Amino acid sequence: MYWLRKVWAELTNEVLVLPSRTLVLVWVIGLAALPFAYGDAYVLRILTMTCLFAIFAASWDLLAGYTGQVNFGHALFFGAGAYTSGILSHKLGVSPWLTIWAGAAVATLIGFLVGYLCLRLRGSYLSLATLAFPLIALGLLFAFPGFSGGELGISGLRRLAVTPMSNYYIAFVAMIVIVFGLWLIADSKFGIVLHAIRDDEVAARASGINTLRYKMSVFAISAAAAGFAGALFAHYLRVAGPSTLEVALSFQVVIWGIFGGAATIYGPVAAVFLLYPLTEWLSSLEVVVGAKKFAFGEFRLLIFAVIVLLVLLFMPRGLAPWVRDKIETLCPRCKQRNGGWRSVCRLCGVNLKAHGSQSKVAGAKGLVGHQ
Amino acid sequence: MLQDILVTGLVNGGVYALLAIGFSLIFGVARIVNIAHTAFYMLAAYSFYTLLVKFGLGFLVSGVIAVVGVTLLSVLCYRLVIEPVREHEAAVLIATIALGLIFQELMLISFGGNYLGIPSTLEGSVRVAGVGIPYQRLLILIVAAAMLLFVWFLLYRTRLGLAIRATANDLEVANLMGMNVRRVAMATVAISVALAAVAGVVVAPVFVVDPFMWLAPLVTMLAIVVLGGLGSLKGSLIGALIIGYVEAITVFALPGGAYLKGAVALLIMVVVLLARPEGLFGVVFEEER
Amino acid sequence: MLRSIAILALALFSGAALAQGTIKIAVLGPMAFVQGEHHWNGAEMARDEINKAGGINVGGKRMQIELIRGDTNEIQSVPDATNTIERVITRDKADFLVGGFRSEAVLAMQEVAMDYKKIFLGVGAAHSKLGLNVEQNYERYKYWFRASPTKDVDLARTLFAVLGTIGQQIRTDLKTETPKVAILAEKAVWTEGLVAAAQKTLPALKMEVVGLWQPSAIATDVTAELSAIERTGAQIVFTMLSGPVGIVVGRQMGERSMKAVAWGINVEGQKEEFWQASAGKAQFVSTLDTYAEVEMTPKTIPFVKAYQARFKKFPTYTAATYDAIHLLKTVIEQTGTTDADKLVPAIEKIEHVGTGSTASWDKRHDLNWAVGKTAGIAVQWQDGKKVPFWPPQVKGMQPFKMPK
Repeated sequence: MYWLRKVWAELTNEVLVLPSRTLVLVWVIGLAALPFAYGDAYVLRILTMTCLFAIFAASWDLLAGYTGQVNFGHALFFGAGAYTSGILSHKLGVSPWLTIWAGAAVATLIGFLVGYLCLRLRGSYLSLATLAFPLIALGLLFAFPGFSGGELGISGLRRLAVTPMSNYYIAFVAMIVIVFGLWLIADSKFGIVLHAIRDDEVAARASGINTLRYKMSVFAISAAAAGFAGALFAHYLRVAGPSTLEVALSFQVVIWGIFGGAATIYGPVAAVFLLYPLTEWLSSLEVVVGAKKFAFGEFRLLIFAVIVLLVLLFMPRGLAPWVRDKIETLCPRCKQRNGGWRSVCRLCGVNLKAHGSQSKVAGAKGLVGHQ
Repeated sequence: MLQDILVTGLVNGGVYALLAIGFSLIFGVARIVNIAHTAFYMLAAYSFYTLLVKFGLGFLVSGVIAVVGVTLLSVLCYRLVIEPVREHEAAVLIATIALGLIFQELMLISFGGNYLGIPSTLEGSVRVAGVGIPYQRLLILIVAAAMLLFVWFLLYRTRLGLAIRATANDLEVANLMGMNVRRVAMATVAISVALAAVAGVVVAPVFVVDPFMWLAPLVTMLAIVVLGGLGSLKGSLIGALIIGYVEAITVFALPGGAYLKGAVALLIMVVVLLARPEGLFGVVFEEER
Repeated sequence: MLRSIAILALALFSGAALAQGTIKIAVLGPMAFVQGEHHWNGAEMARDEINKAGGINVGGKRMQIELIRGDTNEIQSVPDATNTIERVITRDKADFLVGGFRSEAVLAMQEVAMDYKKIFLGVGAAHSKLGLNVEQNYERYKYWFRASPTKDVDLARTLFAVLGTIGQQIRTDLKTETPKVAILAEKAVWTEGLVAAAQKTLPALKMEVVGLWQPSAIATDVTAELSAIERTGAQIVFTMLSGPVGIVVGRQMGERSMKAVAWGINVEGQKEEFWQASAGKAQFVSTLDTYAEVEMTPKTIPFVKAYQARFKKFPTYTAATYDAIHLLKTVIEQTGTTDADKLVPAIEKIEHVGTGSTASWDKRHDLNWAVGKTAGIAVQWQDGKKVPFWPPQVKGMQPFKMPK
């Protein structure tokens, strides 16, 4: 009874007071309940894929958004997870329930390595150098086809579960746990240090922070999450192939990340949940005008790119920060968020309406979402 | 075999140099990583193809229209898409990715996924030191050299060049000195894309034209400019030659591993970056720490 | 949540039309590309012919064919392909599946199709793993059949047979005892077996292998490879190319006016657009192919003519969706049912005369290889036309030419 009351108190005091947190709660409950309301296999497949890509996008954000190491080759970690788990379970016959962890572990190691190699690189140099890594890995995979399956990859992998619904729940739970974990990391003291490193690395180092260690560990954490997503993806599709390392996938995650709003974690997740089903929906959309039938399938990438461009023009910091600024205001004194309807801060009682416009200006000036 | 490597490396390096200078210029001055750079190259190739093969306008007319048209388009894109988000480095990045994708899909819809071939401007081939070189390749070398000279002249012998270099050094001070920084950036975008368009017209005839043709040179080009040092013209030229030779050596030394030439080139880039994080001839910008 | 509602609403909307009395066949292919376009064209031709003639007779009941266009986008994205196949099966309620092209994507699609126990007639992907799955786990994979082309290993047999003929011609023309062969194979799993076989078989055919070059399937430039090959003085360039590199090879060989002739597999070289794509430089490039105006079977010439009249294009090998749908019609009428489990044994037993081959299937559900039946034909590009020159026993063949 005590616990119940505590949960209720948390809910009313921490979640329901903020529209953004309420939205997240509704979204989580909605996703969890969806298969019971509507168990269509096709919809579940799309949502499963969406969940996996959401993990991938969130992991990119922790690295690129928070430390400013804009990784252009994030597919390397996704592919590493997919191939490791695929090879281990297929060649050695280990249960995929174990190998997905191995996939994440190998991705973590590779993350450490890439992080170490990139320590001295900054800005665009880092972005462009990281772009090279998955392509070099692709070259290696093609060089050892007996091991990697060459252009076909490793197919016929064992799956984690059989029914579409259980696969969906695996992806859903993995997403909730990992994304929430990444958010906790980003919101902790660790995350604040990352902000500091992005904004001024020299100053951070001068304050006694071992920035190198932070940069490398964030590479590793981000790689671990991406690798886990990749491993799940491989066992879901039952193929770990070179398409998990392609430039297109790396670009895709950059688009998701920045479209949703960098340095927020939830932004990229929201972006995936909007954009992935949208492109899929467009691909099956047919509009009948008179006697002619227009299939949108061939236009999906075009429409996708145009939407991304338009959203960027109106919300250059990304979707999620923009929405959040519309529905919430930042208290100028205690820096806590408040629902947009409040006139006094829920924590320190300061008048919000008088300062409201000021905080919005401060928010718009920043390069990335989280201030 | 040595003469084969020497000639092939030079010829391939010329192709890459032509693509890399423009990209390097726009980064050096405007700090824009223009992922769509090679997409403009693709657009020029498609326009050139349409004018030349479909309308039969002849090489010179088609070439000039294609280059001018694509350059105008780039200025338009800059005003409409890039400039409003200039403040946000990340937004610029995906705006250019999105632009590239839009161009790719537009070409895919209007021309289909078919591979198209542009007739060579110059037919036939010549033998140099026992190595066959098609005339088209020599043309590319000459155009690449001419373009390098042109850009050098523009940057170091004209007032516009002075303004461009000043902006590259310090945007804010240039602005305070009364320069129209916006106009300078726009001029740089136009010049840079014009170079890509020239490459599209001259280089595309040795390659295959398809909606995805911008991706492969994009990666090679990025490797070259990063290797040579972002923003350095000399660096781009030398980087292009290095990559050209690395690829040639890979193919000749390891015929069964010819497919690795791209990966080896990227590996060289990574190695150079580890030793010199700012590339071979790059400048470290302290204010960008 | 809004999203989910939108999807839900859409789902109800599009799932409503469940027509009776039709057999739904999903055509899967990359519709924005040549392969997908021919997948669809071939299927449309078969549908119109069959429907006009009264449809398919299922145990006395006449049923019309309805085609579902499944754009797999498989060249760009493997997940897109699996999403599409899931959609056509669960949403559009497809009864049968035909098509597929890129092996990595088809392997992933095969899994989904087998989950739902749907007959999937592959038209396009050559990788032997697809058939190996059937042999290793018959109960699960038995619904997969490869309608075209023959599996990669069998392609090798055809290649060597033709290579022997070309070698003979070179011996008499150039008066050399052992013609020199340079192997130019894209780096891919499907070429691996072929390359090993070539290195072993060619000396037995009294030919000398001067080297092996392996560019990437999507390489845009093979200058270095070709100058190295020229240096060896090879007379034949034995190609195994499926990607756009095939065009580059054809074009750049012409540009350098190389003396060697190219023979092998050049998938791009099978397309009508090849001559244009290589800017008219691919003179004498030859490749294995499926369709030509020759009497492979009695149906070939009429099919090719009708196809050209309707689509203004020469059919490429993915147009064999036409044969796949006719095969379905034949076995459905034979067994009087659309039940997949009863159709599988029927297809296993049948010998089906198609437009590009006379097909029968082995225990891997791959085509049985036989010259003049499923081995295909060899064609050479001569002055902008694809000229068939092999097998000699088929009517309508023309001579093979060497560059001067």
